[in-house]
Amino acid sequence: MDINRIINLAAYAGKIMLESGAEIYRVEETITRISKSYDIYNVDAFVTLNVIIVSASNEYEQTISVIKRVKQRTLNLEKISQVNNISRHIKDQCYTLDTIEDKLSKIDFSKPYSARINILFSGIAVSFLSLAYGGNMVDFIISFIIGCLISLISIGLNFLQTNEFFINIICGATATLVSLMSTKFNVVSHTNTIIISSIMILVPGLSITNAIRDTISGDLLSGISRGIEAFLVAVAIAVGTGIILHLWIVLGGFKL
Amino acid sequence: MIINSIYILIATLCFNILENVRGKNLIFTSLGGGLTWFFYLISSSYISSSSIICFFIASVFASTYSEVMARVLKTPVTTFVIGAIIPLVPGGGMYNTMLQSIQGNINGSLSTGLKTLATAGTIAVGIFFVSSVFKASSLFKKKLFKNKKFKSYF
Repeated sequence: MDINRIINLAAYAGKIMLESGAEIYRVEETITRISKSYDIYNVDAFVTLNVIIVSASNEYEQTISVIKRVKQRTLNLEKISQVNNISRHIKDQCYTLDTIEDKLSKIDFSKPYSARINILFSGIAVSFLSLAYGGNMVDFIISFIIGCLISLISIGLNFLQTNEFFINIICGATATLVSLMSTKFNVVSHTNTIIISSIMILVPGLSITNAIRDTISGDLLSGISRGIEAFLVAVAIAVGTGIILHLWIVLGGFKL
Repeated sequence: MIINSIYILIATLCFNILENVRGKNLIFTSLGGGLTWFFYLISSSYISSSSIICFFIASVFASTYSEVMARVLKTPVTTFVIGAIIPLVPGGGMYNTMLQSIQGNINGSLSTGLKTLATAGTIAVGIFFVSSVFKASSLFKKKLFKNKKFKSYF
């Protein structure tokens, strides 16, 4: 078997997983599993949040090492489970290298849900959260609008490749502004409920869980960096809401 | 209480769509979120409300559910954990901390901030605890049943 091609394929699979938000140990396991199922037993993989390093050698003492830099990280849990499934079934389904390459590239270019669906469902998520936290029907409608607005803004700013903290500041500010305005015009009464439930959609759930799971499995470097990322996002959301609330109080709005 | 959990169930369903979960996993993840919130509500009605123990119970339930489901459905655990944890995340505490500090009430902001941090830490400890137990038990099973006679049963 061609060791070059196998290791490149394994690193490619790892790159897809890391880009869509997998834990570190899962990426390392997948890389070693793929290369071991093609009879390359001497593999070492080192993965951090934005780099994959694989080094392997075969029985003729040919050594190869691959470095893949991962720049953008999105959220796509479906890709993770598909790549995971493929790597587990190489041996019993007798996949050849060509089929795996085909399957991996098909997964890599599979489209996520469209922007329209994202906008609609973030609106529904925020509105039902506001109901669960004790809002009424008017709050439901207002928070639906806020959710759609937040999603629209974050999609637009992502398209312009703005950084994550700025996006969170802007989104938090928008949510607060809309809910304060609607309170001002006597539409709703539960301002806090609406703001809290619209903040929830910005909360970095993936970073929090992955920080914990990485730390457990011993990848302290990535665990700490993911924890700091989650903390900074939380601070950014607080700053965004805080600016608008402070301005509102200073410029003579009403007492909250 | 049940209606409230159903609201959370629908909300987690939408969150999971934003995270690109597809197919039948979608149903089970959202079920996990709803059940977690239900456990939180039950425990907070028996123990004092919004106590830290309630969060601990709910997060232990959430991660147990997701570890079991991941083994049953052969899907990565993260898919289920994220959906189940989302309703527990202390967004309200974060907002209240910020509100107190804007109004100039430093003592209030410090105490709510510490409470929020403690809640987040408790959820983390809950996940930590359960997934360590599951990892240890799977290794235990592997080492115990290396014997081929036992292996045929599992």
